[in-house]
Amino acid sequence: MLRATLKGMASRKARLVLTSLAVVLGTMFVAAAMVLTATMEKSVTGVISDAFTGVDAVVTAAEDPAAAQGNTPSATLIPASVLDDVRGVDGVESADGDVSGQVNAIGDNGKLVGAFAPTIGFNWNDQTTGYNEIRDGRGPEADGEVIVSAQFVKDSGFDVGDTVTAYSYTAERADYEIVGVFGLPGGRDSLAGETQIGFTTAEAQRLLTQGEDAYMTIYVEGDASTDTIADAVGADFRVQTGEEASEEAAQGFAVVADIMGYIFLGFGLVAVFVSVFLIINTFTIIVAQRQRELALLRAIGAGRNQVVGSVLAEAAVIGVIASIAGLGLGVLLGWGLSQLVSSSAMGGLAVKLEVPLTALWALAVGIGVTVLSAIVPAVKASGVPPVAAMREAVNPPKPLRGITIAGLAVTAAGGVLVGLGLTDNLGDLGLGGFLTGVGIAFVGITLLTPILSRPLVALLGAVMSWSFSGRLGKLNAGRNPRRTAITASALMIAVALVTGIATIVSSFKETTADLTDQNLDSDLIVMGQQGANIPTFAPETLAEIKALPDVAAVGDLYGEFFGAEIDGESTALFASEDLATSLQVFSGTVAEGTVEDLPDDGLVVNESAAQDAGLALGDTVPVTFADGESAQLTVVAVLEDQLLTDGFWVAPAQIAHFTVPKPMQAYIQVEDGADVDAVQDQVDDILADEPEVSVANNADFVEQQTSQLDLLLNSVQVLLALAIIIAIIGVVNTLVLSVLERTRELGLLRAIGMTRGQARRMITVESVIICLFGAVLGIAVGIGLGWTVQQALEEEGLTSFALPWPLIAGYLIAAVAVGLLAAIAPAARAAKLNVLNAIAYE
Amino acid sequence: MPLANPPAPQLTRTRAAVDATNLLRAYGSGEAQVVALRNVSVQFASGAFTAIMGPSGSGKSTLMHCLAGLDTVDRGSVRIGDTEITGLNDKALTRLRRDKIGFIFQQFNLLPTLTAEENILLPASIAGAKADPAWIGRVIATLDLADRLTHKPTELSGGQQQRVACARALATRPEVVFADEPTGNLDTRSSGEVLRFLRRSVDDFGQTIVMVTHDPSAAAHADRVVFLADGQIVEDLHRPTADSVIDTMRGFENRVPLAGEGR
Repeated sequence: MLRATLKGMASRKARLVLTSLAVVLGTMFVAAAMVLTATMEKSVTGVISDAFTGVDAVVTAAEDPAAAQGNTPSATLIPASVLDDVRGVDGVESADGDVSGQVNAIGDNGKLVGAFAPTIGFNWNDQTTGYNEIRDGRGPEADGEVIVSAQFVKDSGFDVGDTVTAYSYTAERADYEIVGVFGLPGGRDSLAGETQIGFTTAEAQRLLTQGEDAYMTIYVEGDASTDTIADAVGADFRVQTGEEASEEAAQGFAVVADIMGYIFLGFGLVAVFVSVFLIINTFTIIVAQRQRELALLRAIGAGRNQVVGSVLAEAAVIGVIASIAGLGLGVLLGWGLSQLVSSSAMGGLAVKLEVPLTALWALAVGIGVTVLSAIVPAVKASGVPPVAAMREAVNPPKPLRGITIAGLAVTAAGGVLVGLGLTDNLGDLGLGGFLTGVGIAFVGITLLTPILSRPLVALLGAVMSWSFSGRLGKLNAGRNPRRTAITASALMIAVALVTGIATIVSSFKETTADLTDQNLDSDLIVMGQQGANIPTFAPETLAEIKALPDVAAVGDLYGEFFGAEIDGESTALFASEDLATSLQVFSGTVAEGTVEDLPDDGLVVNESAAQDAGLALGDTVPVTFADGESAQLTVVAVLEDQLLTDGFWVAPAQIAHFTVPKPMQAYIQVEDGADVDAVQDQVDDILADEPEVSVANNADFVEQQTSQLDLLLNSVQVLLALAIIIAIIGVVNTLVLSVLERTRELGLLRAIGMTRGQARRMITVESVIICLFGAVLGIAVGIGLGWTVQQALEEEGLTSFALPWPLIAGYLIAAVAVGLLAAIAPAARAAKLNVLNAIAYE
Repeated sequence: MPLANPPAPQLTRTRAAVDATNLLRAYGSGEAQVVALRNVSVQFASGAFTAIMGPSGSGKSTLMHCLAGLDTVDRGSVRIGDTEITGLNDKALTRLRRDKIGFIFQQFNLLPTLTAEENILLPASIAGAKADPAWIGRVIATLDLADRLTHKPTELSGGQQQRVACARALATRPEVVFADEPTGNLDTRSSGEVLRFLRRSVDDFGQTIVMVTHDPSAAAHADRVVFLADGQIVEDLHRPTADSVIDTMRGFENRVPLAGEGR
C-alpha cells in the first residue's frame, strides 16, 4: 500500500511541490523566529560579557524602580565614601565608580542628537578607558572637554575640535569641546544605536547626580569575594559578580530580539494557519481525482483504514520533506534577519549563529499540521464506494446545508459572546471572553464562506462577464463553492487581519482628529517628537509665548510619568501653571468644586479616575513624588471625563518635585482674526533655542500623534504580503487542478472554436474572481473586527469609527493583481492544451 | 432499417464541401513509426451525408481530425469550402473551426455550467456574434428541444444531451458538420432520433455531414460510406443499406484479418 502511495505521489510532483511550498513557508517563519531569538540572545550576551571582561564584582544601589530608569536624579546613588570602602577591601585591586544616564546634546542642525535612541552621558574613567577603544584624540581631562562615541559623530555631524552643547533634565546647558572619539569593542560604533558622551567624573556628576559626589555603579577588579565586599558596603547596596551583572544587562538588550522573534513567530503561525486551508484543499482535490483509483483499490480488497492510511502517508511524506526544507530555509532566514537586526538596530553587533533545539518545534508544527489537515480528505477518501471504479468520475458538489448550519451556529455563538462582552455582561471573563467570541465568530464565518461564495461570486463575476470567456470563467468559479471558498480563505484571513488593524488605526486617527478639532480649542501646539525621552522646553519660553500680542491664551502641560504615587498606587501626575486657562483651552469642564486659585495642596481629578481611586471632592490623600517628597493633597475639584484632561492634576507649586520640572506641551489660542501662520512664525522664533520641541498646527499635530500607528500598520502589512504568497500558491494549485479536471471541457471549447487567448482569459477571470471574493470577504470581516474592537474600546476613548478607504481600495487592487499573477501558469497550461488529447482525455 | 429518401442530385452539390488530397499522417519515428493515413484522397460533396467506417486503427478518426483541422497532416492538402487549411496557424484554424465547422462528439459534448440554450449558442458566443434567431428556432423545433432550453446538461437524458449537441453543431450553419461516433453512447431509440435528425438536416437544410461510426445501421442513414483500413480507403459505397454495409465489411475483413470492432 505504501508503495502504491509513493508511486502515486511521484506521478503528481508539480502539485505536491505547490502544496509543500505552503508548509515550507510556515515552517520557515516559525524556525526563523526561533533562530533569530536565540542568535540575538547569544550575540548580545557575547557583547555584554565582553564589556564585563575583567570585572570581578559590581556594586549597585539596592533595587529601586526609579533607579532602574537610570535617568532620575532621585535614584538611590552610591556615595563616594562607599567607593573608598570598596577600595579598602582586601583583595580588591582596583575599583571605579560609574556615573551614567541620559543627557541631551544639541546637534549640528539645532535639534537633539539621536531622536529615537538615547544619548548616554557617563564619566570617562579607567574602567571605561579599558573597555572602549579610542579611535581619535584622547579622553577628557578638563570639565569642558568630552570624548564622544563614533555613533555620536555620525548622528550629530560634529567631530574632534568642534564644540557641542549638552544638558540634562537637572543641569543647565554647557558647551564642551570634543577632544576624542571612541568606538566599542569589535569595531562597533554603538551597542544598540545609542550615542555616548564621556565627561570627566565631576562634570558627569554635575549633569546626572545633581552635583552630588556619588556613583550609580562600582566596578571592581580583584579576587575579593562578593560577600567580603558586601560586608564592607553594607545592606543598602547590592554586590554581584561580573558574570551575574553581565547576564542581567544582557537580558535588557535581548528584548529587542525577543520582540522581533515574537513578530516572526506570529507571521509563521499565520502562515501555518493559512497553509492548513491549502493542504485540505489540495488533498480534497487529489482524493477527488483519484476517486477511481481509490475505488479500484477498495474493489480489489483494500480496507477503509488502508485508504485513510495511504492518504495520510502521502501527507506525512509531504510534511516531513517540506518541514525539513522549511527548517533549513528558516535557519538561513533567521541568520539573515539577525544580521539585519544587528545592523539596523544594534549598531553592527557581531552575529553568532545559534540554532536552538526549540527550532525543532517548527518541524513538529509542519508535519503535524500537514497530517492533521489531511485527515478530513483522507476519511472522505475512504468513503468512496468500490462501485465508483466502474463509474464515470463525476464529483457533484456536495450540498452546503450541513456546513452552513454549522457556520451559522458557530458565528452566532461567537456573536453572543462578543455582544455580552460589549455590554459588559461577561463579568470577570471580560476581555478574554470577548476575544474568544471574536475568534469563534471568525471560525464561524470561515465555515460560511462556501454559501457566501454563491451570491458574491455571481456579483463579482457580473462585473467581468462583458466577454463570453469572462462569463465562462465566472461560471467555473461558482462551480464548486467549497473549493472556491477554501481557496479564497487564505486571502480572506490575511485581508481580514490587516483590514481589522487598519480600521482600528484609522479609527484612532479619526478620534485624535475629532478630539483636536472639537475639544482642543487651540490653533497651535508646541510639542516634540516623542523618541527615547519626553521632550520638554524651558518654562521661560512659555511666558514669552503668552506675552505675544496675538496670543489669546496658552494651555500648558507638565507631566510626571515615573515614580509618583497616590495613596501607594503608582500613577502619572499632571500640572499646569494656570489650570483654569488650560481647561478652557482643552475644553475641559469642572463637574464639582473649582480650579480657580488652586491651593498648593489641591488635587484635581476626573470623575472616572476619582471613582477608580475611591476619591470624592474634599477627600485628602497621601501623594509621594518621584523625588521622594510626600504631601497630603485634598481633592478640590472633579472634572467631567474628557480624554485630554483626564488624570490627576496637582498645583504649580508641586512642579518642582517632578523628575523633569519643565513643560512638555503648550496649546496656543490665537486671537480671533489674527494670522495663525504669523503667530506660528513668531513662536518658532521663540523656540529657536529649544532643541526638543517645535510648533505645529492642528493638522501636523494629528499627523505626529498617529505616526507611530502608521508604523504598526506598515509592519502588519508585511504579514499580508506573506499571506499573499501562500494565497497565490493556493490559487495556482486550485486552478491547475481545475484545468486538469476540465481538460475535456477545454478540449471541447477549443474544438468548437475557442481561441487560446479566450481560454487564457477564461482561467484568468476565474482566478481574479476567487481572489476578489477572498479580499471582499476579508475586508468585510476585517471591518467587522475593527468595528467590534472600536466598540469595545469606546469607553477607553476610541470614540470614532473610520474606515481606511485608500487601504481598502489598495487591498482590492492587490487581490486583482494576485488573481492575474496566479492565473499565469494555469492559463498558459489551458491555452497550450492539445485539443485532440484533451477530447480523448479520461 | 428503411432508408430515407435519397437526395436528388442538384447542381450546387457538385461542389465539394471538403476536399482532401494525398493525405499522409504518421506518428512517432523510426521503428515505432505508425502510419495512420497513407495517401488518402477523398472528397465530400456539399449537402451530402457521408459515413466513414473502418476497424480500430484503420485511421478513420485520424482522417476526421485532419479534415476538421484538429490534427495536422504531414503531407497533402485539405480544403474546407474555398479554404486551404493545411499550413494555417492555430489562430486561423481555431477561427475556421468556429465559423465553418460543427462538431458532435461521442460523449462530453456539452459544458456542464451552461444551460441547453447557452450550449447551443456557444460557438456564436465564443465568436462574439449574434446567432440568427429564426434559424436557431427552426433547429430547436426540429430537435424538439423547446421545453428543455433552460435545463442544465445534468438534468437531460443522454439522448437529449446529444440532440442539444446536434443543435449546437448546426447553430452557425457550418460548411460541414463532423460527427465522431455520435450514437456511440446512446440507446437504440435515442440513436435513431439523432440519426434521423442528421438525415433531416441534410435533406431539409442542405447540411453537409461527415460521420465516423462503426455501427452499420448508423452508416445506413448516410448517402455514402467510405471504408478505411490500414490508413487507406478500401471501399466507397453509395446509397448504403445496413446489409450492404455489413456485406462490404465482411468483404474486406476477409482480406485483412482484423482484431474486432471498435472505433
